[in-house]
Amino acid sequence: MSKQILIDPVTRIEGHSKITIQLDDAGEVRDAQFHVTQFRGFEKFCEGRPFTEMPSLTARTCGICPVSHLVASAKACDALMAVEIPPTAAKLRRIMNLAQLVQSHALSFFHLSSPDLLFGMDSDPAKRNIFGVVEAHPTLAKDGVMLRKIGQEIIALLGGKRIHPAWVVPGGVSEPLTAEKRDKILAMIPEAYAISHRTLAWYKDVLEQFRDEIRTFGNFPSMFMALVTPHTPGEHNAELEHYDGVMRFIDASGNIVVDQVDPAAYQDHISEAVEPFSYLKSPYYKALGYPKGIYRVGPLARLNVIDRCGTPQADQEWAEFRALRRGVILSSFHQHYARLVEILYGIERIEQLLNEPDILSSHVRAFAKPNKYEGVGVAEAPRGTLIHHYKIDENGLIIWANMIIATGHNNLAMNQSVKQVAQHYVKSASLQEGMLNRVEAVIRTYDPCLSCSTHALGRMPLLIELLGPSGEMLDQIKRDQ
Amino acid sequence: MKQALIIGCGNPLRGDDGLGWVVADRLSAVLTDPSVEIAWTHQLTPELAEQASRAELVVIVDASHAGHPGSWKCVGIEVSKTETSKLGHHLTPSGLLAYAAAVYNFTPRMLVVSVAGGSFDCKEALAPEVEAAVPEVVRHICEQIAVGCNKSRMTQVSLGA
Repeated sequence: MSKQILIDPVTRIEGHSKITIQLDDAGEVRDAQFHVTQFRGFEKFCEGRPFTEMPSLTARTCGICPVSHLVASAKACDALMAVEIPPTAAKLRRIMNLAQLVQSHALSFFHLSSPDLLFGMDSDPAKRNIFGVVEAHPTLAKDGVMLRKIGQEIIALLGGKRIHPAWVVPGGVSEPLTAEKRDKILAMIPEAYAISHRTLAWYKDVLEQFRDEIRTFGNFPSMFMALVTPHTPGEHNAELEHYDGVMRFIDASGNIVVDQVDPAAYQDHISEAVEPFSYLKSPYYKALGYPKGIYRVGPLARLNVIDRCGTPQADQEWAEFRALRRGVILSSFHQHYARLVEILYGIERIEQLLNEPDILSSHVRAFAKPNKYEGVGVAEAPRGTLIHHYKIDENGLIIWANMIIATGHNNLAMNQSVKQVAQHYVKSASLQEGMLNRVEAVIRTYDPCLSCSTHALGRMPLLIELLGPSGEMLDQIKRDQ
Repeated sequence: MKQALIIGCGNPLRGDDGLGWVVADRLSAVLTDPSVEIAWTHQLTPELAEQASRAELVVIVDASHAGHPGSWKCVGIEVSKTETSKLGHHLTPSGLLAYAAAVYNFTPRMLVVSVAGGSFDCKEALAPEVEAAVPEVVRHICEQIAVGCNKSRMTQVSLGA
């Protein structure tokens, strides 16, 4: 008789979800599914709104990464207006997007995952939380708060104190950067560097303790996709690109599948499938079909698809990261490591951009009426590639909107990762804490934001169900956040 | 050390859920003392622990589903040991307090002012009865700040409307 395990809700992620694990007659894991249980609605209620409202409207999709939505949405509006925004405006948007990356990665690494990394997956759950981290490693805990604060302060200095700044607007940004604000941001950079280097050193020390998890946490061949800098084909000089650039897909061996893709043509390469067990759509690489066209996005994908980061300190760390194994880094456990490398890159790029001679230019906005009926804006959010695609009528009102969120791109990979972990660790018809935590922890490596990806406002509890071959409930763990 | 940190919590695009921001806006207009810091947030996030640890008094203002629209209450918050395992992308008020206490070894006095909302639909205005409660809430918070944080660390409850 087969059996099923249900994990509901999944904890330490953003949004509502559950996991079911199906056992076969022999008690082995036959299948596992990650269900997103909150409803998607944002695209629909944007219809009828003026396109100029879209950045501030869609920023409300999420209280965690509003800046990413602001940036992608503003870029889609730029495309509707058919304007090229002033270079300084692009640099300022870029700084804000990188500050968002730094603070979001800090939340994922320090606040949500460091308890697992510090105490181990089988440790006492009463201790395995951020308060346990404060007691055992206060520097790590304080560094997490401080790095997140630095990212948030940069965003606040650029866009105002509110979490959904109206500073990023169609055509550029609403106000130039002042010398005073630039200097305030630059004054925070040394501390950010110190935290970044200290944490990388600590993480590389503890990494060896997670050999089993590295082997089993989403460690499978798949494609990877991310934006990279526009580059000369064959010259191996594609760098990290979080704001603009072109799309690149690679296969599990590191071969480039498609390159230099204009993000506006994303639909030539990506389709979205719908499964009855989840509100989260499953994008896939069109040419391979569904579900063979599985690909991953996010920090691991970004570090896999590039030829170098493009900043000196991050390039050094990236080389060490890529030396973890020959070829592409496949294990999703290494998303944690990738986040730390990207944090360092983000700090370096922010510093570089702030020191550019035109960064205080007052020419930061282009004005135009809509000149096209369709516009696409793409940027790299902390969790991966974020696509906003709008269609408007002759009055500039939204008649159709599509948003593909990083967590959606990773849906197929998260399901496969849960199945791999379950097959390795779930060995009985009842759930033990270490087993439960690993099933959750593999989801956390993707740092999914389900509020974003289903465009709902919500909280994230977890349910895990263990079901028999006929669908009967054998065990269940339910946790409120 | 700041005298007070006011945190307006909510989503101003969701009707009465924007209450926290409206109160924070009004307070920013009347409280010009630099020792009072005001923050507008969608939800309580971990880095607020650092700001909270630098303030004698933390006041969180948020809308509530409970009660008659426009009724409000002010409740003192204590550090909760049960919050220790519940940390996610966002925090509860007692979780934020626990975080500030754990990381920075300082526990500010914390008050949560919650105002019952009537409609959380997609709009940018408060319902008239909720709007009517705002001046009294603003006055109450100003009084709490004026009383001085060191004079009383007792839990306080006051009910309005």
